[in-house]
Amino acid sequence: MSDRHEPGPAVLVGGEYMVDLTRPLPDAGGGVAAFVATGRRASTDSLMALAVDRRVPARPRALYPGIVGIEGLLTPLAHGGGPPIDGRPAWFVICRAPSGPPVSSALRPWPEATLIEFVMRPIAAILEQLQERGVTHRAIRPNNVFQGRPHGPVTLGAAWSAPPAMHQPTVAETAYTALCHPAARGEGRVADDIYALGVLLVTLAMGRPPMEGLDDKTIMYRKLEVGDFAAITGGERLPGLLSDFVRGMLAEDPEHRPLPALLRDPGGGRGRRVAARPASRAQRPFKLGAITVWNNRTLALAMACDPTEAMATIQSGTLMYWLRRGLGDSALAVKLEELIRQHTLDLSADKEIAQALLVMRAIANADILMPLCWRDLAIFPDGLGPVLAVALDAEPELRRKLHDMVNYEAQAIWATIRDERAPAGPQRMESRQRRAVLQIKGPAGGLARLAYTLNPMLPCASALPGERWIANIAELAPALDAIAADSPDAELLEPRIAAFIGARSERWLDQEIQALGAEGDATDRALNALRLLCEMQNRFYQVPMKGLSAWVAARARPLVDRWNNRERRVAVDAQLKVLAGLGNLRPILALLQDQAGHAADSEGLRAAHAELDGIDGELRGIAGGGGRRAAIAARLGQEIAAGIGLAAVATTLILAALG
Amino acid sequence: MIWLSGLACGALVAIAPGIATVAAGLLAPGAVALRLDREPGRPVARTVLTCGLAGCVHPVMMLWNTGQSFDTAIAIVSDPAIVGIAWSAAAAGWLLTQLAPLAVRAVLEATALTRSTRLRAARSRIGEIWGLDQAANDR
Repeated sequence: MSDRHEPGPAVLVGGEYMVDLTRPLPDAGGGVAAFVATGRRASTDSLMALAVDRRVPARPRALYPGIVGIEGLLTPLAHGGGPPIDGRPAWFVICRAPSGPPVSSALRPWPEATLIEFVMRPIAAILEQLQERGVTHRAIRPNNVFQGRPHGPVTLGAAWSAPPAMHQPTVAETAYTALCHPAARGEGRVADDIYALGVLLVTLAMGRPPMEGLDDKTIMYRKLEVGDFAAITGGERLPGLLSDFVRGMLAEDPEHRPLPALLRDPGGGRGRRVAARPASRAQRPFKLGAITVWNNRTLALAMACDPTEAMATIQSGTLMYWLRRGLGDSALAVKLEELIRQHTLDLSADKEIAQALLVMRAIANADILMPLCWRDLAIFPDGLGPVLAVALDAEPELRRKLHDMVNYEAQAIWATIRDERAPAGPQRMESRQRRAVLQIKGPAGGLARLAYTLNPMLPCASALPGERWIANIAELAPALDAIAADSPDAELLEPRIAAFIGARSERWLDQEIQALGAEGDATDRALNALRLLCEMQNRFYQVPMKGLSAWVAARARPLVDRWNNRERRVAVDAQLKVLAGLGNLRPILALLQDQAGHAADSEGLRAAHAELDGIDGELRGIAGGGGRRAAIAARLGQEIAAGIGLAAVATTLILAALG
Repeated sequence: MIWLSGLACGALVAIAPGIATVAAGLLAPGAVALRLDREPGRPVARTVLTCGLAGCVHPVMMLWNTGQSFDTAIAIVSDPAIVGIAWSAAAAGWLLTQLAPLAVRAVLEATALTRSTRLRAARSRIGEIWGLDQAANDR
């Protein structure tokens, strides 16, 4: 791994492309750092390398080769580690470089025909092809759309090096996605790209950014209060044909936005106009936190922005009163009252969780298009992966919110409320799967495991490897070896590394990873760690790892001490030292978990105990046998004396007889 | 039993009064021991009597050879040398009953001590090999 990131001309991205960090392309990345790249093979295409932030993963679905070759789109050609930026290992996505500046570089009002012919239709064609491949773009914005020549179609920039819509300005997204954490806007669907295209068309038609100078919250509020089209155009008149298109593209309901195929054919597209029923406006406003609420959409936004205040107004009943008397939406008021009844039942659980669930349900009931709002965090469930990746290095509060959200299956509850929009079954299943991953016991489970699982391109986020970019286990193994050699006291299998191994080992190391979480004494833990590292070396990196072997040997004391026979223990210890020097973990494992040897050792110990018991019994018998011996001595002494007496009689008789 | 013994003694006195007199004089310590020994089997009296008997053999032979007269028997019983030898034999028998148990006890204790030393050595060796030193010491 470390070899790959050493500076020098030999560092090739994907084994093919060289990145020149001395030649940045400030306008080519659409807000992402971009550099000139060159391929090893001669090519007329100019290339660029987009830097990937290690805390926010690139989009894995978009980096599969399936989207290569779409005309007018800067599709990804390769991705991989490249030369370090500021001494830190970096990851790059290689794309064709745009042939001109972004349309945002010199904003001016574009003629309607030009907009339709060179912006709308080409981008619609691209979106149609992306839709066929099951990918969204989610980065259509003025600084990511390029025009090579004045009267030619625009080129759509890259959108692959960061989570979907992460760099989108608030105005280019619906209030619902803009409300979300930037990394949690989700892949979305083609209707979201159509919306962004509509905003782009308005921008170019007006020759200036719409809603300029307004802060994000105001932009969202205006969109929800007066409708997206009215808020974005600001009452400015657009050319007739374009106005019709844009009105449809900026429809509040994604179902009402035209499909890309309709936009490629302006004649047909114009005829299709589906209008949503506008949200009914209250006769008098309702103040919730800092937001003045006029309809159910702004009510949902206000509750999402200030959940504490929302909870208070729901519990006090003032909100339901306003809904009935002010807005005239008794159905929503009844739903909220039902939620309060449910809330009293939920109070048996964690009060904070129960309140978060109530507000989340209330928001989704107020506006079915709202994202999943948990406390003051909003996400779309398909954006959970990237936001988890961000959360690994973020403040603990974000991690806590995400943990609770997954742990209480908020996604399933949210999906059930909006069942009429999309079937809740798959969401429920996904929610349950995510919770199962979260609840994996031991160091290899938890939020980190879920983050790695949902982000196949997220590098190892442990602090132990430092800035090293570790993308898979084959790279982790030598990194661990180096860490073990440099810091023998380091706790190598800390949770983020264990979770990384668990998520990236493709189930090969599942058994060993699960064993890490098992309850046990120091011996079991040491043996489980050894088994995991051994299997990792065996399957992913079959090279001697002396640092890791020495690290294992230093922690194998409890395993050596398992041998009861002292001579055997000394022999194992000596052998362990020899094997540690060779760097191969399998013989070390075989030595330490020698089951036949341990069985013989246990049998020997049992026999030794039995022998000791026998000896102790005999010693006790000797110690307590004084009285018995005295009795024996007395009896035997008298018998001997009697015998001597008889012998004396016999002797004198014989002597007398002999004269 | 007492009656039988009395009858035997009476018969002896009637048939051979000389021998009875010598025996009575020379075996007097045995009779005393028999009277005093209350142990089952009367081990002390038994040894004192057998040793006393050994001291009586020569005087009885002498009486037998001189015609077993009562006077001779009195002369023998009154001879301090003969009585001393017979009573000394009885005393030696008594001493033997006191010393023999002590000697046997000393031999038995020495044997137990040797065995105990061997066992402790074996125990210590096993404890060292199997890491049971502490446990062995605790016992």
